[in-house]
Amino acid sequence: MLTIGKVAATAQISTDALRYYEREGLIKPSSISEGGYRLYNQDAVMRLHFIKQAQACGFTLSEIRELLLLSQHSTACCNDVRQLAIEKKLQLEAKIKVLKVMSSSLDAMITNCSNHTLPVTDCPILEAIADIHEVKKP
Amino acid sequence: MIIELFYAEGCQQCLRNRETLKATAQQTLPDMVWREINVLEEIDYAVELGILTLPAIAIDQELVFTRLPSVAQLTQALNERITKEKSYGN
Repeated sequence: MLTIGKVAATAQISTDALRYYEREGLIKPSSISEGGYRLYNQDAVMRLHFIKQAQACGFTLSEIRELLLLSQHSTACCNDVRQLAIEKKLQLEAKIKVLKVMSSSLDAMITNCSNHTLPVTDCPILEAIADIHEVKKP
Repeated sequence: MIIELFYAEGCQQCLRNRETLKATAQQTLPDMVWREINVLEEIDYAVELGILTLPAIAIDQELVFTRLPSVAQLTQALNERITKEKSYGN
């Protein structure tokens, strides 16, 4: 059995994060010691590894909860998980698309700012950002 | 009019009422084009249309349904578009 400090260190997360996962229903201690301390078994370590890996793939905690539930559901199959993964990929691709547009906007601003010695009050980048803001005003 | 059903391979829910919906579309619009698109094969196009969940249906390259519609919902959406197209034509 591992204490909260040990299990958190093994998973390379903070004890606060571990308590947060517990509040979110992602993990629970396998027992409580006589002194009232949380104790975790090896399954908890594996579960924390799963949570971290899923986060690295872009899944939110609520989506990870769904993945964990699916993994325990006897009637679920791999296609259910696959669909969640495909939908996550669609969301990530949509974000990438937005980020590319943002990056292109910055490219244009950087190119237009050719005179590096201008005073900041005449900075074309700040002016361009102000213009974007102006357009969005109702 | 082009109707595009986006699905994922192995997704039972995606293709459950496919034939019924296709028949409904054909009945409403005999000259429509019905496409079934495996989202992984045209992911850039799906992202361009704003598809984030599956199944999804786009009509004339506009995302209209983010889940499979009922026959009545599809008929209504198609009829609305037919009316709109006619009003633009006049």
